[in-house]
Amino acid sequence: MNKPAFQSRGKRVSSKEALFRIGEGVDKLVLLFLLGSVCLFVLWPMTCILLRSLHLSGGDGFTLSSYVQVWTKYQSALRNSLFIGIVSALLCTLFSVSAAVFLSTRRGWMKGLCMAVLLVCMVSPPFVSSLAYIQLYGRRGWITYRLLGLSWDPYNSWGVIWMQALSFVPMNALFLIGILSKLDGGSLRAARDLGARPGAILRDVVLPLMRPGILVCLLLSFVRSLADFGTPVIIGGRSTTLAAEIYLQVVGYSDLEKSSAMNMFLLVPSIAFFFLYRALMRRSDRLTEGARGKQESLSLPLFRCGPLGWLAVAMSLLFFVMMTLQYGCIFLSGFLKSTKGVYSFTLKYWHQLWTISGSTMVRSVIYSLIVSLGGTLFAMLFAYYMERRRVPGRSLFDCLVTLPYMLPGTCFGIGYILAFNHAPLKLTGTALIVMANMMFKQLPTSTKICSASLTQVPVYLEKAARDLGGGQMAVVRDVILPGLRPAFLSCFVYNFSSSMTTAGSIIFLIDPGRQLAVFKLFDAVYTGDYALASLIASAITVIVLAVEGLVFLISWKGAARRVS
Amino acid sequence: MKRNILALSLALAMGASLTACGGGSSSTPAPSASTAVEPTASQAAAPELSGTMKVVATGDIYGPLFEQFTADTGVDVEYISMSSGEVLSKLRAEGGTPSADLWFGGGIDAFMSAKDDGLLEQVQFDAAEDLDPTYRDADGYWYSKGITIVGFLLNNGLMKDLGLTDPTSWADLTDSQYAGEIVMSNPAVSGTNYAVVNALLQSLGDEEGWNYFTALNDNIAYYGKRGSDPKNKVTSDEFAIGITYIDRSIEALTEENDVSIVYPTDGIPWVPEGVAVFKNADNVDAAKYFVEWLFSNDDHLRTLAELEQKDGSKLIKPSLEGVELSYDPSILMKEDLSQFGAQREDILAKFETLMGDKANVADE
Repeated sequence: MNKPAFQSRGKRVSSKEALFRIGEGVDKLVLLFLLGSVCLFVLWPMTCILLRSLHLSGGDGFTLSSYVQVWTKYQSALRNSLFIGIVSALLCTLFSVSAAVFLSTRRGWMKGLCMAVLLVCMVSPPFVSSLAYIQLYGRRGWITYRLLGLSWDPYNSWGVIWMQALSFVPMNALFLIGILSKLDGGSLRAARDLGARPGAILRDVVLPLMRPGILVCLLLSFVRSLADFGTPVIIGGRSTTLAAEIYLQVVGYSDLEKSSAMNMFLLVPSIAFFFLYRALMRRSDRLTEGARGKQESLSLPLFRCGPLGWLAVAMSLLFFVMMTLQYGCIFLSGFLKSTKGVYSFTLKYWHQLWTISGSTMVRSVIYSLIVSLGGTLFAMLFAYYMERRRVPGRSLFDCLVTLPYMLPGTCFGIGYILAFNHAPLKLTGTALIVMANMMFKQLPTSTKICSASLTQVPVYLEKAARDLGGGQMAVVRDVILPGLRPAFLSCFVYNFSSSMTTAGSIIFLIDPGRQLAVFKLFDAVYTGDYALASLIASAITVIVLAVEGLVFLISWKGAARRVS
Repeated sequence: MKRNILALSLALAMGASLTACGGGSSSTPAPSASTAVEPTASQAAAPELSGTMKVVATGDIYGPLFEQFTADTGVDVEYISMSSGEVLSKLRAEGGTPSADLWFGGGIDAFMSAKDDGLLEQVQFDAAEDLDPTYRDADGYWYSKGITIVGFLLNNGLMKDLGLTDPTSWADLTDSQYAGEIVMSNPAVSGTNYAVVNALLQSLGDEEGWNYFTALNDNIAYYGKRGSDPKNKVTSDEFAIGITYIDRSIEALTEENDVSIVYPTDGIPWVPEGVAVFKNADNVDAAKYFVEWLFSNDDHLRTLAELEQKDGSKLIKPSLEGVELSYDPSILMKEDLSQFGAQREDILAKFETLMGDKANVADE
């Protein structure tokens, strides 16, 4: 590894000028590639959806009729979407901040255990979490009915809020832990030396320093909630959201014009929130600028932090207990057989699991690996150009790249079919369209993680490198990318888990000959084979953890070698 | 293309049992040729086929049937499961460039819409004459591989706990004792439950029919957004009564779970499960041949019946032997299928207003 790098450095000295020029050219090409890809894989499908909503494609001439219908009919669904979105974003952020602070102040086995739970929960196969929720807390739920003797109706907005909030926590918490690990230990020590109580340090130092991270969590959770259709479809009952109604339009009425118009409708609050978030981010960036510390665990005795500390501990424990129950329930369901309400152990589904063709699983892993590596690298570069370089129309591109996150997956999938079904852009039926869809669907989160992480790569390092004669590419290679190593890992984990479990958007894109593991899960859920579905979900979870473990190991070894 | 259709239909007229004899051709248009079909080389069509046939199916149980087709023709079969609404959306988005060849299963209303949109390919073959005209499109744009029948699934434990008497008919369901205990799927997503609405409207007449659904609406807990919701919610002890398709997989449920099936005494709504070929598909020929292959050979229909654990193919092809109906066909409701597709939009729109707050509410 070292040798070739050394040689290339030697060459650079000999023909420095030429190489510098090439570097500049490559720099421009990379930027063009990034922006071009975003235009092709985000702007173009979105444009197709927009055209469809205006009846400009598909035949019947321009009309706003779909918008009029949507506006008159779906206001209550939109209101409910906003209500669910706001409450679940708040609840989720409360859980995430609590869990992050709690974990950052812990050491030893407890931390290890909780981190393991978080990583497992990052993998959230569609549907099974909601099914576990019903199994645990439903009308005949193991906990609500069998344990507590309650009989209540779990099918309502609160069920949706609760499920969404819990399922968004792992990602947010991991992200916040990353931020906390970089907090300036100096300001904490200074505060303590000045006699501040632990509670005051938490309230006046730690939380304000976390503000950009908290904002990111709020935004990501809110928008994700708006776009989530799976949860309200399964446990919303009578309560419906705009995303669920869009899903209904697609699968029930196959009305592409109307569902496209509904998508545009849904984008309004999401985009408004996005710009609000950008404005807030810019303010808090200034607040935390220069806040850099060594990676050390937060030395804050949470139990002596007063009510705020206790709240954090209580919320974290609640979260971890609920998640353990949920995933335990999923895993256990695979081995339980219910005969007239009496459960017994069975290996029946375990044997069924092995009839699923291995090639399906392998294909899932390969696709996900490609998407994760490609997507992570793309996100790092994109974040760098957006944050550090004066790219014209930068906030526009930043907004653009966030769009796929704001749509229900189903529609982003439909957008891809609309966009790529004719030459010269004929991609339907290929593996590329599936992977591109996954990657761009996940890019919003990846770029947010990288941007946040980039604020911790000091600008002066970059300037220093440039002053020493490093070209743009050298800066990217030697300063930015190494500085983003922690972001690489969280991006990779996020991308890989999501790719392995994504279903909504690619159901329309997948070729019958190229099935993915998640569709086996779909089939099992659809036929009501919950036990088998649970086992498939568990298997996917185990595979994801194994692959992620491997990548951790490789990157850790790589890092160790570089240090030595 | 035209010649192919002809050759295929002629080939099929023979059925598998006839021996091939002589060449020759016929100018008789296949659809009208019910009696005067000249025998030609019976398996002529098969060897011309190649490549892969891509199928969207309703489930993943059809492997053995497709393997048989591959063995007979050399055409590989790849399939994926999608609901009929998803298929229709995908077709519309693809704008005439379908990524699959054969559509295998799903509520017939979606097939009718697809036919109206010009998304399906006409398939005609002589053995189609043996199929009951009730269950196939007169122009050959879609066929049925069986029918789905609808009944009630009761959760015995909940029925007992709540002190409910078992309903035996559609009329019973409007009794106020069942308030909030009945689940059905939104007829927009479920072909089965759309059949319920359409069939009851046909049998009761428009006015009485809508009165019935208004009354039923008071007892419905909520309308599921997936077709399998009612069955799943009743099986998992969430609701007492589900309006659901009934097949042997549901019968199997009654053995493992505390649930029982009710066949409503005032008639059973039903819906055909479609089979069609996508227009402009990459391998149209293979898909068309598959349709003939399936319906012309009773062995293939028997394999299908076995895989599906259903006996509806007996209705589709009355001459089929080895498959017996497990119910008396006279309990099936009288349905005029020609109304199914044409009325769909209006009925769903009306139903949506009726469901009103149950399908579309911001609850507190």
